Amino acid sequence: MFADNWKISLRQIRRLLILDLFGMSSLMLPRIFSSMKGADGIFCLFLGGAGGMALLWLMGANLKRIEKDYYHYMKNTAGEFLGDVFMAFYFLYFVTLSGYVLYQLTTLVLSWLLPDGSWLGVSLLLLLLGVYGSIQGIEGRARVYEIIFWFLGIPLLIMLFFAAGDVNPSYWTPIVASHGSSLLEGSVAVLIFLLPITALLFLIPYCRAPKKMAACAKSSLFVVIFVNLVIYLILLGIFGTNTMGVLSRPVITLMGMIKLPGGFFTRQDVLMTAVWFFALFALLNTGIFQGTLLIKELLQRPQNRWCVWATAVLVFFIAKGFFEHSFLEDVFQRYQIWVALPGMFLILLILLAAHKVRTGKRVREGGSS
Amino acid sequence: MATQITSDLQENIRNFEALFSDCEDIKKRKIKVGEHFGKECYIAYIEVALSNVDWKDSAVGKLLEKLRSLPEQELTDYVKENVGGISDAQPFGTLEDAAQGMLTGDVLFFLDGYHKALKIPDKGYPGRGVYETESEKVIRGSNEGFSESVKLNTALIRKRLRSPHVKVKETFVGRRTNTNVDLVYLKDLIYPGMLEEMERRLKEFEIDGTLDSGIIEQLTEKRKYSPFPQFQTTQRPDRAAMAILEGRIVLLSDNSPVALILPATYNTFIQTSDDYYSRWEIASFTRALRYLASFLAMIFPGLYLAMTNFHTQILPTDLLLSLAASREGVPFPAMVEVILMEIAFELLREAGVRLPGANGNTIGIVGGLIIGQAAVDANIVSPIVVIVVALTALCSFAVPNEEFATAFRILKFLFIFLCGSMGFFGFLAGVLAVLIHLSHLESFGIPYLAPFVGADLNGYQDERDTFLRLPLEFLKKRPVYTRQGARTRLRMERGKEKE
Repeated sequence: MFADNWKISLRQIRRLLILDLFGMSSLMLPRIFSSMKGADGIFCLFLGGAGGMALLWLMGANLKRIEKDYYHYMKNTAGEFLGDVFMAFYFLYFVTLSGYVLYQLTTLVLSWLLPDGSWLGVSLLLLLLGVYGSIQGIEGRARVYEIIFWFLGIPLLIMLFFAAGDVNPSYWTPIVASHGSSLLEGSVAVLIFLLPITALLFLIPYCRAPKKMAACAKSSLFVVIFVNLVIYLILLGIFGTNTMGVLSRPVITLMGMIKLPGGFFTRQDVLMTAVWFFALFALLNTGIFQGTLLIKELLQRPQNRWCVWATAVLVFFIAKGFFEHSFLEDVFQRYQIWVALPGMFLILLILLAAHKVRTGKRVREGGSS
Repeated sequence: MATQITSDLQENIRNFEALFSDCEDIKKRKIKVGEHFGKECYIAYIEVALSNVDWKDSAVGKLLEKLRSLPEQELTDYVKENVGGISDAQPFGTLEDAAQGMLTGDVLFFLDGYHKALKIPDKGYPGRGVYETESEKVIRGSNEGFSESVKLNTALIRKRLRSPHVKVKETFVGRRTNTNVDLVYLKDLIYPGMLEEMERRLKEFEIDGTLDSGIIEQLTEKRKYSPFPQFQTTQRPDRAAMAILEGRIVLLSDNSPVALILPATYNTFIQTSDDYYSRWEIASFTRALRYLASFLAMIFPGLYLAMTNFHTQILPTDLLLSLAASREGVPFPAMVEVILMEIAFELLREAGVRLPGANGNTIGIVGGLIIGQAAVDANIVSPIVVIVVALTALCSFAVPNEEFATAFRILKFLFIFLCGSMGFFGFLAGVLAVLIHLSHLESFGIPYLAPFVGADLNGYQDERDTFLRLPLEFLKKRPVYTRQGARTRLRMERGKEKE
């Protein structure tokens, strides 16, 4: 029969990727862009988006060559040792990302929904939900986001539509006035928020149409960049760069200010937090799920049920670290810029080159024999 | 070991009476037949299962009359060759099989010199006949309901689906009850493997008795700890026939007026028969209302608690003040107040169900009006909580399937706890947990949330019959659980359309 075949559709992948990429980027990028002059964040979004496209191109080039799954491809192409190193790299990336997302999600809940709540209680409940979601497998996860996609998307679009009326275009100027290094920093930040798209590489065995995955990811990337652009321009047009820089989550503050015509509720920020709650949870869930798959492959224990709990414990302690030691956020940022980002490109380039060398060698050997 | 029926009638009688000793409700008679009354036969039946008034008109009466007119030496041959002409007459070679045949409510006939026993049908066990259903009321459409006889229920479906492709697979469940269970389906429409899967699940357990389809439902469900039912239930033959036309399988169990339909999805539980009999606009409107009702039945009291206890900034000041004023003097915290009212409501509901018809209605009125008003006057609960609980109850009643609505009624308490202790975060966590659970839940391989998920499997056609029920001419395809290649259910001829 249909279900339990561990296959998901392109629509499910597209929605999953959009939610994965949208949550953190829309929550944090406007504040990062506030250090720039005028609407120069637009260029960062374009440049970061172009970097994302380059990453996607590299991923697409490798995707074409993957026969079974990404783990075997890494091992077969780069050798057993390098394959394991790459897997450990991805594991580290997804686990630290999950830890950071759990920290951000818990902070979001404590700031907007439950100010008197306990950090431990909220983070543990979220983590338990994340584990529950991961245990349900890829199909269960994909269905959750497939179903909530428009339930979150439609209210967000309505709110943005009404917010657009209050935009003051003079706040968008000057344009191209920021320093090159600021633009570069902003673009790198955009690209970092797009890195979870690499989760796509691990979805090949689960996709019903693996050949169309790269195109599907491309459309997700465009949607995320476009929505971020709209949100950024609206936020900038309403708050201006100075105010935006002091707000911790400008987009949620905006939701609390929008007056819906004939609206019953006086403030919608609490209700609209649901959008980022689900989007961040999607990314947390992706991190736990990918981390679990990677640790299973690394330990060569595909059936081990404890791997998900091991990943969850790691994620919890990483999040706890962020909560207790603020300098770790800075360390994580540096790790993302200097290790994760170049690492993602480098691995894909090495794999591509190694594959070409191996294929060429095989062809030459075939020719000489 | 089975006891063979022999040509010696006395031996057969001895064995039979030993098997049914101390069974006063089983009537056994020796009757002389043949034109000179020179041969003996023996009939056995359950007291009320044989028509005494119209004895001569019954199949067994006519057979005996005929046997009395024939010469003794021709009797055995006559029975052997002609009794097959009586509808549903069935010969049995062993005493145990014959006894089982009699216990289905028919007459057992033994003839001296004949080595088999014949089961001859008669009026069978007493039953209710076809009555109007008590649940699943519709505004438009048939009012016939299933009864306790599996044969009658099968006939009610067959009456609506007059196709040779409608198949009925019979099986027996329960070591002691030997309950007749029929699986009814359209052979050319069911998805390959679904029937076999159900048969496999029926064989997976051995139980002493099944007195209702509910027992079979619980024993064959895959996710036993889920509050959501994985079989759809119906008491309406037209609903069952409609399900069969969609490639689903209907399970009918003897002594139960409730049929099980498989597979089931969230969407099928929300659908009603008259969704398709009424115009699409009203059908869509009521469908959307039912979806909303199913969600509100679960979350409404919890959401009230989250908004009034944690996020008062959402509500307009006037409303907030009015809510605060209405709670003035109420000694309990809002969460306790809501739980008290919800439990009171559930008690009223339970009492109303158990009491005989008219008294049940009285309890509803007494509970709803008098106790509610008295509780408000005594400052035990606030009027707004009475409104919240009443609205939640209305929502749960709007869900067309009782078992499905019960899942929301149970989850409502989880949401009261989560929202009462964690506000909107509790609400979001609850929604997420339910969503994760539902997204993994399946009924015979079909995702519970189909067609909201996996709609691409049927070219997004199934989405036309969800929140909205589009005009029938748009519903050309059967749902995804129908066999591939047999999904067209409606063809429109363009020429005729223009006319």
